[in-house]
Amino acid sequence: MKIIMKKYISIVMILAVLVSSCAKKLDLLPQQSVAEEVALSSDANVKKVLNGAYDAISSGNLYGGNVFLFSELLAANDEIRWEGTFNQPREVWLKSMLTTNSFVRDIWLNAYTTINISNNILSAINVVNTADQNRVKGEALFIRAAMYFELIKFYAKPYSAGSVSTAPGVPLVLTPTRGIDQSSFVPRSTVEQVYTQILSDLNEAEGLLPNTNTVYAAKPAAAALLARVYLQMERFGDARDAANRAITVATANGKNLAGTYAAAFNNSANSVEYLFGIQVSAQDGANNMHLYWSIPAYGGRDGDVSIQATHLALYSAGDARLALFYVGAGDTRSGKWQQQYKVLPVIRLAEMYLTRAEANFRAGTSVGDSPLNDINRIRNRAGLTSLGAVTLADILAERKLELAHEGHAVHDLKRLRLSADGFAYNDNKMVLPIPQREIDASAGVLVQNDGY
Amino acid sequence: MNMRKTAALLLAVTLCSVQFLWAQTKTVIGKVTDASGAPLANASITVKGSRSGTASGADGTFSLSVPDNAKVLVVSAVGFEAQEVAITGSLLSISLREGDSRNMDEVIVVGYGTKIKKDLTGNIARVKGSEIANTPVANFTQALQGRAAGVFVESQNGKVGEGIKVRIRGAGSISASNSPLYVVDGVPINSDPNSGNSLADINFNDIETFDILKDASAAAIYGSRAANGVVLITTKKGRAGKTQLNVNMQYGTNKPTGYRGFLDAKEYVDLLREAAINSDNIEGVDPLDPAQYPGSWLQFAENRLTRYSGFSDWRTLQTNTNWEKLAFNEDSKTKLIDVSASGGTDKTRFFVSGGFNDQDGILFGNNFQRISGRFNLDHEASNKVKLGFNLSVARTIANRVADDNEFYTPMQIVALAPITPVRNQAGVLYDRPTTTYYNPLIELEDSRYTSTVFRNIGGLYFNYKVTQGLVFKSEFGVDIQSQSDDRFYGARTIIGQSTNGYGEATWFRRFNYNTNNYLNYTKIFGGVHDLDATAGMSFQSFTTDLSFVSGEDFPVDALKKLASAGRITGGSTSTSESAILSYFARANYKYDNKYLLSLSGRIDGSSRFGKENKYGFFPAVSAGWILSEENFLRNSDFISFLKLRGSFGLTGNDAGFGDFAQLGLWGAAKYNNVSGLVPTQLANPELKWEKSAQTDIGIDFGLFDNRLTGELDYYVRNTRDLIYNVPVPGTSGFATQTVNIGSMQNKGFEIVLNSVNVNSRDFKWNSSLNVSKNKNKITKLDGDQTLIPGNDGRYLNSLIVGEGIGVFYGPKFAGADPANGDALYYLPDGKTTTNDYNDAGDFVVGDPNPDWIAGLNNNFSYKGIELSVLFQGVFGNQIMNGAGGFMSASFDWFDNQTRDQLDRWQQPGDITNVPQLRLGYGNGIGASSRYIENGSYVRLKNITLAYNLTSKVLNKLKIRSARFYVTGVNLATFTKYTGWDPEVNTDYRAGNRNQGSDFYAAPQIKSLTFGINLGF
Repeated sequence: MKIIMKKYISIVMILAVLVSSCAKKLDLLPQQSVAEEVALSSDANVKKVLNGAYDAISSGNLYGGNVFLFSELLAANDEIRWEGTFNQPREVWLKSMLTTNSFVRDIWLNAYTTINISNNILSAINVVNTADQNRVKGEALFIRAAMYFELIKFYAKPYSAGSVSTAPGVPLVLTPTRGIDQSSFVPRSTVEQVYTQILSDLNEAEGLLPNTNTVYAAKPAAAALLARVYLQMERFGDARDAANRAITVATANGKNLAGTYAAAFNNSANSVEYLFGIQVSAQDGANNMHLYWSIPAYGGRDGDVSIQATHLALYSAGDARLALFYVGAGDTRSGKWQQQYKVLPVIRLAEMYLTRAEANFRAGTSVGDSPLNDINRIRNRAGLTSLGAVTLADILAERKLELAHEGHAVHDLKRLRLSADGFAYNDNKMVLPIPQREIDASAGVLVQNDGY
Repeated sequence: MNMRKTAALLLAVTLCSVQFLWAQTKTVIGKVTDASGAPLANASITVKGSRSGTASGADGTFSLSVPDNAKVLVVSAVGFEAQEVAITGSLLSISLREGDSRNMDEVIVVGYGTKIKKDLTGNIARVKGSEIANTPVANFTQALQGRAAGVFVESQNGKVGEGIKVRIRGAGSISASNSPLYVVDGVPINSDPNSGNSLADINFNDIETFDILKDASAAAIYGSRAANGVVLITTKKGRAGKTQLNVNMQYGTNKPTGYRGFLDAKEYVDLLREAAINSDNIEGVDPLDPAQYPGSWLQFAENRLTRYSGFSDWRTLQTNTNWEKLAFNEDSKTKLIDVSASGGTDKTRFFVSGGFNDQDGILFGNNFQRISGRFNLDHEASNKVKLGFNLSVARTIANRVADDNEFYTPMQIVALAPITPVRNQAGVLYDRPTTTYYNPLIELEDSRYTSTVFRNIGGLYFNYKVTQGLVFKSEFGVDIQSQSDDRFYGARTIIGQSTNGYGEATWFRRFNYNTNNYLNYTKIFGGVHDLDATAGMSFQSFTTDLSFVSGEDFPVDALKKLASAGRITGGSTSTSESAILSYFARANYKYDNKYLLSLSGRIDGSSRFGKENKYGFFPAVSAGWILSEENFLRNSDFISFLKLRGSFGLTGNDAGFGDFAQLGLWGAAKYNNVSGLVPTQLANPELKWEKSAQTDIGIDFGLFDNRLTGELDYYVRNTRDLIYNVPVPGTSGFATQTVNIGSMQNKGFEIVLNSVNVNSRDFKWNSSLNVSKNKNKITKLDGDQTLIPGNDGRYLNSLIVGEGIGVFYGPKFAGADPANGDALYYLPDGKTTTNDYNDAGDFVVGDPNPDWIAGLNNNFSYKGIELSVLFQGVFGNQIMNGAGGFMSASFDWFDNQTRDQLDRWQQPGDITNVPQLRLGYGNGIGASSRYIENGSYVRLKNITLAYNLTSKVLNKLKIRSARFYVTGVNLATFTKYTGWDPEVNTDYRAGNRNQGSDFYAAPQIKSLTFGINLGF
């Protein structure tokens, strides 16, 4: 009996040891992720989150290319053609977007992901070293404003269509998400409210940012984006001043037009001309403009976007910008996006000269420089002779050619109240639908755009 | 028998005689053998109506002291039919027949123990290894298809050794795993692969039995891991006696089950031009007018035709390539060799095997190889101590092809234009821009995608008999899965083209170890109260490591390893862990061999849940009544066995949604080659496991002396607290949150019938039929929502309260407008139509969940000739072709079209379901019922004709057995589905919700093999 008792006791003891040592092994933590408290706990960590915000904005759906692609496709006007197999961009090209279009969905989702990261940074700005607080806050505001600006341009009627105080804009979310509750179901603000927020963010950012900031957003980038916003709002005086500030600060800090037009593209690092560019390398980053506009020989898809003769006919002979086009994979292609793993320029200094020229011209002023000088500066770089005088049409024509296929097309078209492929600037079909998944997830709070 | 043994026996008899005089007992001694006369170790010998018993030793002998009045012994062994033996004489010779799954006395493996089938109160389906042995497929789950009621098996496509969906009694979960738990010899194994299929590493010719635990009472002993059922796999054990050697060789050929058929060159040119002209006409252009031709769609199309024709001329239809045929390997072979030996001595028994399986897929470049070995050893150290181990090693090498949605997967070749020659005049494969898309044949010449898996599944066990009836069992097992995926894409491939070659290597290692420690107590009280109790603990830990490196720029395509890469462009490592700690107990009670009651409970703690919900309790209760043991039925000529049983229990599900879904997480990001941090997951500290409550009522019966036996079951499984990645407003910065929402129900019944139709001396005919109906229904989402629509532009799998998981919900196609050929859809009223897809109403337009599944197996034997015929069927489901918008798209683009497009709308008045052809206009290509078809099918799953040499010949040849056979798999399929194959769920999106979708998925493999099986 004693022996049996001993056996029982030893078995029970073995079990007890096993159980107690195993219970501890249930407390496991992930090795590739950290908790929110950790992420926002220190100066160094918040700065890492800021770099994460740049990663988010560099997504292929955002500044990594698709917002530029969509702008060009919406304003195709038979000058470019979507010939790729993906029907999501084709729907945009044909202005027949389905509410389930996955590219339309992902632009929305990624933009708000980016906004949430910015909101997180802003919520933890006190953790950042005092010396860097202005810069970090300015960058977060710049990124948030940039995303709201893309959203409002694509998912709402243009500012030029009027009724901005009643026209539905996009939901404004200005605080970080910690969980899902009733406050997570945000209705659309008006177009006016969204623009007001963007202006507020950018004005503050411009004040906070340093004059230079390596590849990250600096004062000229914020001013340049501000100029774009004012241009959309047709506040030409403000656009002129913002463009002028961008030029002044940028040129005072070493920025300039690149020596040749071709040199402004296919760069492995920011060109001297870039006020803001998305960094892309073999290890990191997306350049969907390259993906869709280039050809297999250079690592692109099948040459999904082709350039039509109607566009090429707009250039005069000897225009260096014409020379940049090339023929490959059976059609004419834009040379701006030819090479793989190159920086994707978002704001070039050239745009600011063109904006300043246009705004000065419309205001009848010569702040910074005269419209003629600004236009000739652009023309000369492109290998063209100087003009003796300029008209608004000259300025706009120069702008179209200089900035061709860089994502400005539909936004310029809308503010200039032009039409594309038979669709008026304010046509319902020139606006992307609110993604169906978003309507479905919003518990009835979100209202779909007219025409969908 | 040698002298020493005889002496021992005599001594035993003498001793027992003494005991007899003293305690009014007697001793029975005997020997248990199998049909061939080989001794059977470990057989259980008990006195009928009592639990006092013993087990046979390694040499099959036993000695048991029994009450003087005992008349009958019950002898049973795993894999054999139990037998009742009258106690006559003092030396019994008992020969057991190999178990037959139809027999009521068969010993069934249950979790942490075994049970005689007659005494089961839960529902367990058994498939014997011998039934599926030598089926020429890579994965045992494929071989189980159609053989067990309530077990639905579906291969995603015809790629060899890849994904297979197994559902036991329907799907219970939306976001967590719906796959059963697989347990090999007591070790729960990894069945969730990095890529490929983790179950393909198992050589199923080593398997003795599969016991599939389907209802809650059978499965609840596996607690939080059992909601989707449990498949217990028992491998073959050695038996004492002369060593037996088996050799099996098989050779065969493979073909696709079907072709789809696409337009030929003339049709392609004619229809494409028609589509272009139609598009021009919409824009008010007459392209046939030379003045309007420039810039027209027709010019655009004809330029493309010229481009696509390469060196040839499309106008004269010089080239007519059947690209579809080129996706397949014309010379696909299967080669199999299996060798096994088993035997042993008194105390030590072994089973060893080695296998080699080399199977080509039907797609070019697709191949699967497995080299496997097994060593099972059992040893009796003393009367009280038994120990042993089971160890398997396997290496599989799969030459794989890309997912169905990739341009470079073989099947996407069908999109290429028939006017395009395969090669140019220099013999080089054409690529873009001559081919419409990338030519996947380049992959065959210039890429490599090889997965190599090393897999060890092994376990040690130790049994200690504490006292009579009380046994302590301890098991320790490991499953080590090490997989490397080596990919190389040369300078001509779509991936490697711009970077002068691209290579990547992924190393994946999953290690799980598991220990079970439990006590088992059996005793019969008062002759009629039969108790069998088990209690213990179990712990299992999983660690997964992943490493990845990629590079580009290779000097020559012959150098395929990353050592030769000019640039290393990416690399990462990651680790994930989880652990589960369990306590379990079970008591089986039987009164007078008539009334059965079983109670079980398990407490599980899982690392995957937050502190508040770390532990869960999973109880089950079941009862049975063997009516045929009652006096009023005992002597029935008609009813030989009848049992009513019922069970209720709770099981859980903690798998398939990541290890840390409860935490709010931030993960790494990268920009400008600098690291960053971004939020990746919303927290949910309340996350807990899904719970399934299952009720099962069943009848087991045997009629006409068990010539006709069967099982009828009705079950209801209600799963609540479903884990789901619920879509949240994107404005939050997140797309989904993992929460417990809603509930789901599976309700159904199962019929199993087995009959011995003819049982004469020379001719035998047995049939077995299983039929199952399952109705899956989402009964609740989060309470507010009743609908999570899933129209993503190509597919419509949605979640709707009151409907099955993943039903197709979206626009209902109304054919082509007879007036103008526009694609029409029904408006929300369901009656009037619109040509604007965005205005169309949403309807439930199909259901990917089958209503019925069935299998019918007939075995005939006449003297040495055997014929076995298995039909398998799936009924009542629909399939959606997500590639319809490309391949059946009214020539929306340049993809070659399916032949049904010939029936397009051409002129006012035409009534057709194919809208007018319009290049670039997307006429009817949105996801809708247009691309949904009936997916029911019946298939001649397996047919085997075999001839066994007669013993006369065998004796002459001095071999034990010889069998020659021919096996056909998937030889005939009966279906209305017009796609390649109705057994499909495209791999790149397959999931719980995403079912029933086709997207350039390869048809299943149809094979014919010849084999020889020799025994020495």
